[in-house]
Amino acid sequence: MTTNKSKDRKQKAIEKQQNIIDALKDHGAKVYGDLDNGQFPKFSIPSRSVSNIVYDKKLRQYILGNSAALRSSRNSSQLRSFTQLMWLAFFANRLTQEKKSSTLRDVYYSSQAFAIEFEDQSESDNIIVDLEAVLSKPREDFHIFPEERSSIFGDLNIEYTIPGYEGKRMNLSNHPDGYAIGPSLTTAELVDTSAEIVIAIEKGGLFTRFVEEQVDKKFKSIIINTGGQAPRSTRTLLKRLHDEMGLPVIVLTDGDVYGEHIAMVIKSGSANAAHLRELTVPDAKWVGVWATDIEKFKLPTIPMTESDIKRCYDLQSDPRYQEGIWKKELDVFLKIKRKAELEAFSKYGLTNITDKYLPQKLELAKSL
Amino acid sequence: MSSIKEKFNQISPSEFFYRNRDLAGFSNPTRSLYTAVREFVENSLDACDQKGIFPDVHLSIKAVDPDAPDPKPYILTVKDNGPGIESKHVPLAFGTVLYGSKFGLKQARGMFGLGATMAILYGQITTNKPVYVKSSTDGKIQDEFELLLDIQKNKPVILKHNTKEVTKRGLSVSICLEGDYAKAGSKIKDYVYETSLITPYATITFDDPKGEKFHYSKIVNDMPPAPTIIRPHAHGIDVETIRRMMVESQFEIPNIDDAMVEKVRKDLGLAKNNLAFTGIMDKAKKRWKTLSKPVRVVIALMSFLKMDFDKLNKIRIEDIDVPNKKLYYWDFGDSQSKSVDMDPESQYYKQLTGTVQGETLTTFLTKRFQRIGPSTAVKFAEFAGFKPEKRMGSMTNEELVKLSDSLQKFEDFLSPDPSCLAPLGEEPLEKGIKKFFKPDFCAVIQRPASAYSGFPFIVEMGIAYGGEIRPGGPHVYRYANRIPLLYDEGSDVVLKVVNDTDWSRYKVKGDPPFVIVTHICSTRIPYKTVGKENVADRQEIERELRLGLQFLSRKLAAYMSKRGQAEMAKKRANLYAKYLPLIAQFCTELAGKTKEPNYKKLLEEEIIVDDKQI
Repeated sequence: MTTNKSKDRKQKAIEKQQNIIDALKDHGAKVYGDLDNGQFPKFSIPSRSVSNIVYDKKLRQYILGNSAALRSSRNSSQLRSFTQLMWLAFFANRLTQEKKSSTLRDVYYSSQAFAIEFEDQSESDNIIVDLEAVLSKPREDFHIFPEERSSIFGDLNIEYTIPGYEGKRMNLSNHPDGYAIGPSLTTAELVDTSAEIVIAIEKGGLFTRFVEEQVDKKFKSIIINTGGQAPRSTRTLLKRLHDEMGLPVIVLTDGDVYGEHIAMVIKSGSANAAHLRELTVPDAKWVGVWATDIEKFKLPTIPMTESDIKRCYDLQSDPRYQEGIWKKELDVFLKIKRKAELEAFSKYGLTNITDKYLPQKLELAKSL
Repeated sequence: MSSIKEKFNQISPSEFFYRNRDLAGFSNPTRSLYTAVREFVENSLDACDQKGIFPDVHLSIKAVDPDAPDPKPYILTVKDNGPGIESKHVPLAFGTVLYGSKFGLKQARGMFGLGATMAILYGQITTNKPVYVKSSTDGKIQDEFELLLDIQKNKPVILKHNTKEVTKRGLSVSICLEGDYAKAGSKIKDYVYETSLITPYATITFDDPKGEKFHYSKIVNDMPPAPTIIRPHAHGIDVETIRRMMVESQFEIPNIDDAMVEKVRKDLGLAKNNLAFTGIMDKAKKRWKTLSKPVRVVIALMSFLKMDFDKLNKIRIEDIDVPNKKLYYWDFGDSQSKSVDMDPESQYYKQLTGTVQGETLTTFLTKRFQRIGPSTAVKFAEFAGFKPEKRMGSMTNEELVKLSDSLQKFEDFLSPDPSCLAPLGEEPLEKGIKKFFKPDFCAVIQRPASAYSGFPFIVEMGIAYGGEIRPGGPHVYRYANRIPLLYDEGSDVVLKVVNDTDWSRYKVKGDPPFVIVTHICSTRIPYKTVGKENVADRQEIERELRLGLQFLSRKLAAYMSKRGQAEMAKKRANLYAKYLPLIAQFCTELAGKTKEPNYKKLLEEEIIVDDKQI
């Protein structure tokens, strides 16, 4: 059974690769044909301007509307970015074919070998997002990854698919500092696990505490440190853990408006990635720290800053914050104008958060 | 309480200017050398302009002792091919400080030639050397003078005078003065350079003390028409000017001396025989129509005095008191002042009052001012509250002030006559600019004549871009009455207008190779300071400058957008040449081909399309 399942997965992964390579080839052939026929080649890129980002209630995430921008090599002001996009497609094709990965920073420097000048990394990052939009695939699919800062720990067996490690297995509870979530992990086969839940936590300090306190064993969980706003690869992995392994996902953040939004992005994505649809875990649950927890647990607080308050008002107009705990907690944050960090529980002892708070919240999550 | 005795001394004009030489630009050796150059060069150009001669001016400055440190004595010589000055006028022209009562207005670089005399005075003060003047009015005989100024007496002292046969007409003036060429040199070179731009019909040569020669040949073969002298405009007048004009308009009471008496006798045909008083009067009546004005006045006086020629010889007229109708005279025989009443009904009374009180207001206005006709004069009299036939001589001080004020305020005078102005003209200006700056683009404009405070003026402007013009513009060259204004430009009205302009609106950006030339012609340039370096921001002048600059800027903008298109097309062609091969390379590999697509025809096509757009 397991071998069959594994074969299916492998097949799926290969198909995915092939889809990307085919899509890139199609685009290349079209440009080639245009040039050969004396036509200026062009791309249609879905517009990512604010006016074209809409909230889809069915999908429960932000998506792009129908408007698209034409990038033509005929237009001299677009010629440069057109060439950059062509180069990136060419570069992504090589990466995917050779099963090599590259970071955003790598892309920026690699371009210089081909006389493609990017003024800075943000320009090359933008072109990467353009290619994502053209292909409707996240950059990880064509082997471009951000710098990693998030990690995972817990009883999960994986099998690598990257060149040189194919077939090699690993249990992710062998190293107490956790495992960095990088390209090899996101592309690995998820073989099996004894865990029954995934706990995503905002901060590295708390992640270490949870490992020390054996939260993985006590609560049969996989612990993931998102390192602040969860990177795409981490969100991809969360989605796979949920979809492929059938694990529920709960999110634990600081008790402030930014923490609330970290949970929201895991659940329903960000406006920045409205052109992508495979990064969300719509069933993920935010369990704390809530604004109402601050009073309930008598946590030490600090006052909100001007920008905290402004952020609250911004989110009030976001369609996702119009109901449920999202709205309720946001309103309370605005009312008390104070916030509390996860570490605030240390006031009642270092293990208070794992001994008292977490069990309560896990119980609560079942009813959410 | 001690009494203070004050001593009042009359000083001569020379002495006055000597004491106030700072005002005329002779405050220090640097400035004095520069000012002296200007005064002589401008006098030469003015003289040639007036006679319609293409000026050929040679300026030379030589150090008396080349090795001495500055400041030191220099010999400054300016030679021209102008009309020269008649021999008998040379000593007065160069050896006295004149203050004139010129009311005629026309555009000239200098006023009254005062500056040149100041330069001579300054030279004499600092080096105690005479001025050498060589002048030939006919191109055959040249008068050579060596002159000193007697400052106290304001009189020339001729040290030497001889004549020589020559072949060329013209004037040459040479003075020795204390100067500082090390400091003034660049200023003088700028001055010569910029002067030659605004006088493209002149040839100017400058031999500097270091042996360098600067030569600017004439580049146009048309002289701008010479300005004509015109009467002043009513708006440009003040009380003092009216007073001086009245002096000119009044007929002096003749001095009844032996010569005068002889003349009256002769005119009456009584040279030999003596007639009694009544006989003389009868004779006069008969010949009245043939008598000259001075003789008529004497006869009129005699009629009231009831004297014959013998008695007339023994008195002196003291005053004619018209309001009280009394005639005062000094009797030498009795050694006392006497008076007689004048009968206002007498036919001679009118003759006398007309002489003493001068012209009527309306005659004064129509005869002495420009563009005032009899009906305007009458209208003005009504406006000012004077009787049109009011005699100018009967005006009290208060009335004169009232007259002057009203002249300023009355709005129905025609605008000033610009025929006294001599703008350079668009064509010579354009030629000058093209020759000097070798630009890619050049445009000029002459604005229609306008006026401020009764003084007519014309603004001429040129604008040039690109070519051999150095970047860092706009470089502004300011001129007033064909004089370059070199310094103190910060506070000038031209700079104000230029700086107010948003050049990006005219597609001029960054560090442009860009020149603006402005020339203001007027019978009186409203300089801010005596240094004649910056023009005050009179709103009428500012307006003309602004309109002129806007017109030229629009032309420049049209040129710039054309130029921009050409540059853009070139840039685009370069862009395609750079990027299309890259695109070809990338898509070849992406599409899994080995041979690159044929994109070359795309490059050629693109360039052709863009050529058509220009």
